[in-house]
Amino acid sequence: MESLLEPFQYPFMIRAMIVGIAIGAVCAVLSCFLVLRGWSLMGDAISHAVLPGIVGAYALHLPLAVGAIASGLFCAIATGYIKEHSRVKEDTVMGVVFTGLFAFGLVLFTKVKSDLHLDHILFGNILGLDPGDLRDTLVIGGLCLAIILTLRRDLLLFCFDPGHARTLGLRIGLLNYLLLTLLAVTIVVSLKAVGIILVVAMLVTPGCIAYLLTDRFNRMLWIATGSAVFSSFVGVYLSFIINAATSSCIVLTQSLIFLAALAFAPRHGLLRRRKSPDTSPTAIPDAR
Amino acid sequence: MIETLLMPFQYEYMLKAIFVSGLIGGVCAFLSCFVTLKGWSLMGDALSHSIVPGVAVAYQLGWPFAAGAFITGLLAALGMGFVKTKTRLREDAVIGVVFTSFFALGLLLISLFPARVDLRSIVFGNILGISDPDILQILIISGITLLVLGMKWNDLKLFCFDPNQARALGINTTVLHFTLLTLLSATAVAALQTVGACLVVAMLVTPGATAYLLTDRFGIMIGIAVSMGVSSSLAGAYASYFFDGSTGGCIVTLQSILFVVALVFGPKHGLLAARAKRKAAFLA
Repeated sequence: MESLLEPFQYPFMIRAMIVGIAIGAVCAVLSCFLVLRGWSLMGDAISHAVLPGIVGAYALHLPLAVGAIASGLFCAIATGYIKEHSRVKEDTVMGVVFTGLFAFGLVLFTKVKSDLHLDHILFGNILGLDPGDLRDTLVIGGLCLAIILTLRRDLLLFCFDPGHARTLGLRIGLLNYLLLTLLAVTIVVSLKAVGIILVVAMLVTPGCIAYLLTDRFNRMLWIATGSAVFSSFVGVYLSFIINAATSSCIVLTQSLIFLAALAFAPRHGLLRRRKSPDTSPTAIPDAR
Repeated sequence: MIETLLMPFQYEYMLKAIFVSGLIGGVCAFLSCFVTLKGWSLMGDALSHSIVPGVAVAYQLGWPFAAGAFITGLLAALGMGFVKTKTRLREDAVIGVVFTSFFALGLLLISLFPARVDLRSIVFGNILGISDPDILQILIISGITLLVLGMKWNDLKLFCFDPNQARALGINTTVLHFTLLTLLSATAVAALQTVGACLVVAMLVTPGATAYLLTDRFGIMIGIAVSMGVSSSLAGAYASYFFDGSTGGCIVTLQSILFVVALVFGPKHGLLAARAKRKAAFLA
């Protein structure tokens, strides 16, 4: 019994759990929009693309987050621009741009003398966060969450049916960049904890889990957030018990929930489908 | 000055690295033409991350790394196909869920058994320290890939351009689909050694995309892509001597620069050409 409670005795574990849960919640809410918009891999691209920004900001003595957000947005905008102005497909453009930036970041990293740990940027270091990191995460994460939830109706319409959103007089361009900026900021906030590669999972899996389970958008938000918060808590806790990489434990917990949802979802699950074929291919979401 | 520039050639490991990089760069570039036409760019990214648990297990059990990597790569591809056909999730979301799960599993395995596997060499590649058995594996993979691509050339071309037409002609597209997936996994495994998991996708996409900007003929596209893949890999591996061993970073940065040059200056599809065309149309 005592050994089961042991993780809660260490301040760094408590901090890791709070940060994990906060990041999980913000990413999960965002993931619902991304899954509907078809931007799941935009998170992948932006998260890799922040590397040169982080290294560059370090070299220029700027706050790391500023550089990271700048190069993340540059990746998104450059992808959009090249797609518009050439005949190369969007997924290919994305692949070219983000790998180019990541590679440039690696080369830059070898030339800039720094005390940055590449491993921490790539895989996160949630157990090594200090109280300042905790504060930053909570403030910035809370801000993102507030903006997303305030504008959730506009964002939802933009993600689900951009054409309709435009006829209703919404500023599509503005929403587009707002969502991209929120994505970049969220990624930067999450990097310290889960790292570049696994933040993608936090930005995709909860939304997918929820989309398998419900057709209503409000419920989707709750389910995604709930599963992400649960996964963060369990993942951080488990990683202490089995002495394994924390970010991978969080993500694998999410993956297991996804598998469970895939199999047992009441209307869209595999086991259910065999009995009655699914007749609603897409959800009609609502946001009140 | 010249002595410094020639220094990399004095070391056997540098010569090996340059040679192997060039080979892998060429094979990946060949495949990248099919990949970009098929719209499978992100599949390459997903596979390259998905092979990490396989590499971890293979090292743990003392197997050749390619075997383990190959198995998990195919498992991931099958998993993606399965989830996609069984649910209403979009393909990109499915890819995202599956490959991050596999990568997380790999990370978990490595953190549980840290002694055997070097995470850095998986994520960034370790071409400068490549062993002779690994070179042999890469030679075999490259040989088989080139052989299959050469033999199935016409079918694959048709399959990438117009799958319906291919099916109508009586070609078994399912077999071709899995052939291409298998080749993709195999080359991803080989490229992992040179540039690492994060940058494999560049080797499998950028040369094809660059060539696609420069020509409309498939044969020429492959010629351009392969020569670009080989030359950038040779030059990148050479340059990495001066960049503290970041071979993958150097190769992919070079490829990206070439892509940007093609994007801006491409004779027919480049940005400048398009601008000139608009201007001409406006004046006429």
